[in-house]
Amino acid sequence: MSAPSTGALPEPPSGSLLRKIAWHWRCDEKRELWIGWWTLVVFYNLYGLLFFVITRTQPPPQPSLDPSGIVRWFADRHHGLIYGFAIVFIVGGATAIMNATLAYTMRRMSVSRAFAYSYLVIYALAALPGMLLMGIACTVGAMRPDRDPALLCWLYDFAFLSFEGTMGVFLIGSLVWMAAVLLDENGVFPKWFGYLNLCNALTEVVVAPAWIFKEGAFAWNGAIAWWINMVVFVVYTIAFLTLIRKLILREDFGTGPLPELQTDRAPAARGLTQGAR
Amino acid sequence: MTSSADAARPQAGEGRALSQETREAGRFVPGQPDMWAFVLFESMVFAGYFTVYVIRRTRSPELFLRSQAKLSLAVGVFNTVVLLASSWSAARCVQLARARSYSSAHTHALLTMFFGSVFLVSKVLEWSREIHQGLGFTASEFFSFYYFLTGIHFLHLLIGFVALGIVVHQLRSPERRSQAIIETGATYWHTIDYLWVLIFALLYVMR
Repeated sequence: MSAPSTGALPEPPSGSLLRKIAWHWRCDEKRELWIGWWTLVVFYNLYGLLFFVITRTQPPPQPSLDPSGIVRWFADRHHGLIYGFAIVFIVGGATAIMNATLAYTMRRMSVSRAFAYSYLVIYALAALPGMLLMGIACTVGAMRPDRDPALLCWLYDFAFLSFEGTMGVFLIGSLVWMAAVLLDENGVFPKWFGYLNLCNALTEVVVAPAWIFKEGAFAWNGAIAWWINMVVFVVYTIAFLTLIRKLILREDFGTGPLPELQTDRAPAARGLTQGAR
Repeated sequence: MTSSADAARPQAGEGRALSQETREAGRFVPGQPDMWAFVLFESMVFAGYFTVYVIRRTRSPELFLRSQAKLSLAVGVFNTVVLLASSWSAARCVQLARARSYSSAHTHALLTMFFGSVFLVSKVLEWSREIHQGLGFTASEFFSFYYFLTGIHFLHLLIGFVALGIVVHQLRSPERRSQAIIETGATYWHTIDYLWVLIFALLYVMR
């Protein structure tokens, strides 16, 4: 990074959306950042659609299903699991761009680069417990419906325990982000987001009893281990998507404190704001 | 602990220091408002846990009452008093720091840590005694909630020691001493205390 960019950008052309997109592609100096942000937005929307609607693996089913119930569960979702997780495997690659965007926020802070690098390294593993292990287990179960029900039961447990019960990566990642936000002096994010990271990290601990319980509030589909955690995760995700968007709008490519977003917008700022819409 | 003269001095300057501090910072709450956002959010999360506990309890009241009777109310009361004492010393630490009586504020921050440590040791001893009696995490649904709620609170308390460590660090050197950070640490500590009072009421007292 170097001195802040001072040159005013030309305004984007009025007219069709395609013309505006083309202009931003050619002229917007924040193009890469917007690509990263839109990747985050599209990914999380797709994630919800794929897990809740297409594969119907969320909200999670009962951990205490008997073998015949588990065989039926795989049969009922046969096509959804196969096609849904095929898309998951493809969009899983987007996590590289997403993690880079998240790490960029820490590189823009006044803190050591070690924070961004630690975050990148730990989140390089995130796709495994976050979706790939479950996708592999569910796809194997759906593709081999004639297997011994005991094997399907194993795949069912493996899928949901690996997805719901392995939150160490996200716990450490949230704590790294929290520390970076609280120590930062460039005002990249408000301090409350640092504390929200702590809330999120603590909910990652709460899922641990899902390994022990097959029913009740602490089971992998329980009110505490899943529902409350999901609410916190959704609030957390909306918060960081909104804050990263603001960060990009404020970005001056310098190394000092980020300028505040101007309400009385200069032409360049107006153009960038429109670009984000 | 402070002498009576030391205690009286901050009382006199307290109002002035506080109003000046508030005017300077244009703040309406002690410490960083961001910490109050955390307090609000954590309170809502815990409200969710408490609601689930109460709902599960109403489904099997006999079981919960039988299990609850195995807890030691005396130990629960002792822990509550110790944590309230820690909150009192944290409040005194803030008052003294506002009055620029940093040496006494430092003493009270250490006193808060001491009370917090007593709570931690007492809680670990209580857990180990219960586990030796066969009352583990899976002994009954009540004990699952008991270990969960007291465990997650314990974790918050451990983080509280980090917050208090930052407060002590601030108070030790004249170059630092950010009143906002001192108050933010104290706000976190009070949150732990008030959450414990609710947990105590739900687990030990509510019949």
